Amino acid sequence: MEKYDKLEKVGEGTYGKVYKAQDKVTGQLVALKKTRLEMDEEGIPPTTLREISLLQMLSQSIYVVRLLGVEHVEKNGKRLLYLVFEYLDTDLKKYVDSYKKGPNSRPLPSRLIQSFLYQLCKGVAHCHSHGVLHRDLKPQNLLVDKDKGILKVADLGLGRAFTVPLKSYTHEIVTLWYRAPEVLLGSTHYSVGVDIWSVGCIFAEMVRRQPLFAGDSELQQLLHIFRFLGTPTEAKWPGVSSLRDWHDYPQWKPQSLSQALPNLDSEGVDLLSKMLEYCPSNRISAKEALDHPYFNGLDKSQF
Amino acid sequence: MSANFWTSSHHKQLLEQDKIDVVHPIDKERGLTLEEFKLIKIHMTNHIWKLAQQVKVRQRVIATAVTYFRRVYTRKSLTEYDPRFVAPTCLYLASKAEESTVQARLLVFYIKKMCSDEKYRCEIKDILEMEMKLLEALDYYLVVFHPYRPLLQLLHDAGMPDLTHISWGLVNDTYKMDFILIHPPFIIALACIYIASVLKDKDTTIWFEELRVDMNVVKNIAIEILDFYDFYRVEAVKGMSESSKGISEEKVNAALYKVTPKP
Repeated sequence: MEKYDKLEKVGEGTYGKVYKAQDKVTGQLVALKKTRLEMDEEGIPPTTLREISLLQMLSQSIYVVRLLGVEHVEKNGKRLLYLVFEYLDTDLKKYVDSYKKGPNSRPLPSRLIQSFLYQLCKGVAHCHSHGVLHRDLKPQNLLVDKDKGILKVADLGLGRAFTVPLKSYTHEIVTLWYRAPEVLLGSTHYSVGVDIWSVGCIFAEMVRRQPLFAGDSELQQLLHIFRFLGTPTEAKWPGVSSLRDWHDYPQWKPQSLSQALPNLDSEGVDLLSKMLEYCPSNRISAKEALDHPYFNGLDKSQF
Repeated sequence: MSANFWTSSHHKQLLEQDKIDVVHPIDKERGLTLEEFKLIKIHMTNHIWKLAQQVKVRQRVIATAVTYFRRVYTRKSLTEYDPRFVAPTCLYLASKAEESTVQARLLVFYIKKMCSDEKYRCEIKDILEMEMKLLEALDYYLVVFHPYRPLLQLLHDAGMPDLTHISWGLVNDTYKMDFILIHPPFIIALACIYIASVLKDKDTTIWFEELRVDMNVVKNIAIEILDFYDFYRVEAVKGMSESSKGISEEKVNAALYKVTPKP
């Protein structure tokens, strides 16, 4: 760890603090994610292990935050593990906020939304092609390089390879606002669709500069979704009424996406509607999304 | 959708046989031969297997543990990394990586119960310390692909589900060798299907032809597996459970003695 100068604390995650630091020799900025190892109990937390091994596998993609190394430190009898990541100056939440507040309040340029969404789909497609679900996509977990206009997927701590589905996935995962309806309704066999739903919510949030569905309980979250997209029916989403937490909900009619998002062009509305498709198996995949006409105006050669 | 082996770190880490069949210079200095090196790996694979049966983990976890174990010794010496600690720690690490964590104290308990030999006994802190060393030795690459999934898919495709039991057992036995470090998992699966079909007198020629795989590679692996059974006089498919005749305890102990640090 002598290699780095800690500059400042930039965040606090579930497993420990995150510091901005600088490589003393090369001057490279890095993010150090500190994990304390409770060595008297069970060694390295499985979540940390999983994150490291998944990151090792996934960080070949430029759309996933790069793991530069792992440093193991013993200090005052405590054992610490530092994950050394490339440093990006902000995240999508802060970035969108910067367009929301102050005298500079204005919508995000539509080209930028297009480019960010494309990079996000690239990152998610990369995870999915490696058999990894992210499961916690949200603006805070998307790191942004403001000047270069780069967006990368981060915080894969809850990611897991989905090749081992013997146990049903745990329920307490995605932050409520970005949580897919099948998860909210207690489905035990969810898959890549949960990430796409989150991508759709993030897409809409970039356009609106505020969250699309900001529920503060699982029920509320569902009602927000139903009120906007219409209450799902068996015809629209076969099997929905046999999901564990399904009840009889008020019958809302779907609202018009284009009216709710007047800043978004018709291709954008079409892509968003495919990401927010109720039936998970009909939801667009990240790979398909990359070929959607919404991105036609984008210079893809830069990616 | 399935995980992509071809772009995985596992694929990038595949090695040539001659890179694996190398006795580490430190072990060599202590007089360890290549035969003894292989013998220790087989013996410790069995050890991991037996321990895993005690703590009841899935096949996948065992396979991952054995893969870690074999990978570690392509880089480190037996002298510096005591295989009797490395083996249970590989199982510990694999159980975490495969999301079915086994508590360290449980491993410690069953090792005490299973092994009369003091040298196998370890404490929780030994496992936790070794865990860190192994992670570094493995360079934190923990994702491993196995032949089991492709095996089931291929048998389904071939319309030969009745070969599942026998070829599954063969796949288990491939972990007594280093195939998982050398070949893509589906090739290993094919070699096992090939042997199974010959044993059960099934004609799979056409099916294999349509697969357009390099049959030489498949057949060579099959031959190596059969040679292994022959050499260690293990009865095919039943081989994994008990120590086999070709692997005598004395030989293993003599080999292990060479790489045990002397006080």
